[in-house]
Amino acid sequence: MESLLTSILGTNLLTTVIYCALPLVFVLTYALIAVLGEVKISAWMQDRLGPMRTGPWGIIQPLADVLKLLQKEDITPSASDKFLFNLAPFVTFMGSYAAFAAVPFSSQYIGASLDLGIFYVFAVGSIGVVGLMMAGWSSNNKYSMYGAMRSVAQIVSYEVPAAMALMIIVIYTGTLNLQDIIVAQGGGIWNWFVFGGPKADVVLASGRELQASWANLVFLPLFLATFVMYYVSALAETNRTPFDIPEAESELVSGYHTEYSGMKFAMFFMAEYANMFLVSVVASIAFFGGWQSPYGTTIGALVGVPWLSPVEEFLWLAFKGFFFVFVMIWLRWTLPRLRVDQLMYMCWKVLIPFSFGIALVVGFLVMIM
Amino acid sequence: MSYTDAFFYFFAALTVGSALVVTFSRSVIYAAFALLFTFLGVAGLYVLLQADFLAVAQIMVYVGGILILLLFGVMLTTRVTNAEITTGTVQGLPATVVVGILLGTLILLVSRATWNVQESLPDVTGTTTEIGERLLTTFLLPFEIAGILLLVAIMGAAMIARSTDKTKEAA
Amino acid sequence: MSGYFTDIKDGIWTVLVGMTITWKHMFVKKVTIQYPDVKRELPDRVRNRLYVNMDDCIGCDQCAKACPVNCITIETLKALPTDDLGSTSTGNKKRLWMPVFDIDIAKCCYCGLCVFPCPTECIEMTDVFEFSEYHRKDLVYHFGTMTPEEITVKRAEVEEYQREQDAKKAAAAAAAAAAKKAEADAAAAAKASEAANIPPDTTAPVS
Repeated sequence: MESLLTSILGTNLLTTVIYCALPLVFVLTYALIAVLGEVKISAWMQDRLGPMRTGPWGIIQPLADVLKLLQKEDITPSASDKFLFNLAPFVTFMGSYAAFAAVPFSSQYIGASLDLGIFYVFAVGSIGVVGLMMAGWSSNNKYSMYGAMRSVAQIVSYEVPAAMALMIIVIYTGTLNLQDIIVAQGGGIWNWFVFGGPKADVVLASGRELQASWANLVFLPLFLATFVMYYVSALAETNRTPFDIPEAESELVSGYHTEYSGMKFAMFFMAEYANMFLVSVVASIAFFGGWQSPYGTTIGALVGVPWLSPVEEFLWLAFKGFFFVFVMIWLRWTLPRLRVDQLMYMCWKVLIPFSFGIALVVGFLVMIM
Repeated sequence: MSYTDAFFYFFAALTVGSALVVTFSRSVIYAAFALLFTFLGVAGLYVLLQADFLAVAQIMVYVGGILILLLFGVMLTTRVTNAEITTGTVQGLPATVVVGILLGTLILLVSRATWNVQESLPDVTGTTTEIGERLLTTFLLPFEIAGILLLVAIMGAAMIARSTDKTKEAA
Repeated sequence: MSGYFTDIKDGIWTVLVGMTITWKHMFVKKVTIQYPDVKRELPDRVRNRLYVNMDDCIGCDQCAKACPVNCITIETLKALPTDDLGSTSTGNKKRLWMPVFDIDIAKCCYCGLCVFPCPTECIEMTDVFEFSEYHRKDLVYHFGTMTPEEITVKRAEVEEYQREQDAKKAAAAAAAAAAKKAEADAAAAAKASEAANIPPDTTAPVS
């Protein structure tokens, strides 16, 4: 895809810029859809209709919201630390967006096919955490401060089980590269990690061969539990209900972005939604075959239209990502908020021991099989 | 000047500039936040040196771990809503002497050392596999010892942080 | 220890149960009423905007007196004997002109107390509830049917009539006083003449 772009545009620099900006275009579009999904699904689950007056069935409501945010007054509280206050939204969004560099959107498009993949995604996520801290502290407001502290404590704690859960997949595949992890799940729905991983030998993108057979069914319960653990940790990492203690509207107003308005608020909002999509997409890459279709091949490959395959793969990944975002919204309107001690109990006494245990078992099984 | 050079100067300026802020800022919070950019700049330099694993590890450990811990420490030990957390200058003379000696030693070392200078970087694509293999073969013992050391440190920290209230422990 | 595993099992199970419930609710019939397009059916006895049927109003001021927030202002003028205001649908004869009958609906508290005392049932609460305005003064409803010219003319007429009446009254009073005086004088004269002939009757009333 990079070479195609270069041949069209002629220059390398422009290609690089476009290549870097493509996920941004996607994230912006996705955020609009996710915002609409949030309001509509929440309404339907509460037997309401949701926004109905902006466009047919209210489908252009998020655009109206964006227009509103653009027009809003940009308030900087006089007692805040101006410089850090203005810097924080950018740092936060940078942290969320940087992670998309390593996400393979299709077999042909990946920002940077890093060998480090998962490790990189986790590492840059922590930049956003510093941004939250910055926002909370510079607002000079106790609600923001507590929100930021809770948020950071929660994210740092839940990074451990989330990383451990993905580490289990890494132990099995022997690679951190996300593209490789997806390739390992090719060939059909039964080869996805959530169903126990590949059932026949596969050659990874890096050229290494992964031995596998139907005996891999023993991994099914293990990987299924791993997926549940990852998803729960991902919910906590993105501060979504039932782990939305940092943003608890009813007690902390809305956490670290209480003092923000207008476009700076929109940046935080975007970062949050980008994070949601990121964890959803990582879940679908690690456990649900990423851009692999459930029937193992693409329509483009079947009918012999080569350019159709990457598009299809992208659509599959987007669909899976959206599905997990939908489940997040679904859970939000199902479960009440946890207490802080319950949150920490869940992390340190349930998820972490289980993830270590499963990692041990999977490591052992990989060794003997 | 190629793009690589431009990126090098950008990251170098970022690192040095923010490091200066860390040193000279009177506000601890500003120093801590400036540290973020120092770490990012250093990570960028690592990437330019084709040490991608090291760069990501740098961000993971320093930004994700140490910086957050530092910020927590600063914010939890002082009044959280007070923006004026500052550092003062004390012990001017001894500090100058010690720093002078250290600086002299460093300059001496840097100027005396025989640097392994190469015209261009070896073409390395991804260091992760090799680092992984070396860690579990050649450098297995140091790796394990470091692991055990960290485990001991964690347990020690948990032990110290633990409530010393006997009645609570009994329950 | 078994409690620990039971808790985990229960946790997962109850989350799934909850998710089933919310899932089902996504497809049930929605309760939202699309307000400006679809309106809710109001109960029969709703109390909303006040309406006065001026054809029936006799200007008795009962509603204004009953109003706890004084949002009704009524000014009346007595009808001249020559004026014919007709009668209400209940057969009451109308005897008062009403230059002013204002209801400040912004003040109204929708208690409905003005409705009950009305002898002709001309003031009532309707089911109209959408009457927002851009200016507060537009919320003062003028029910009076008379035009300003009519009011000036009528006022002048009534004043004229009043003056005439007053003058008549004054004249009548003067005449009455004069008559009384004459009577008294006559009586005194008679008394004086009687006193000369007959001894006074002690039982006679003292005038």
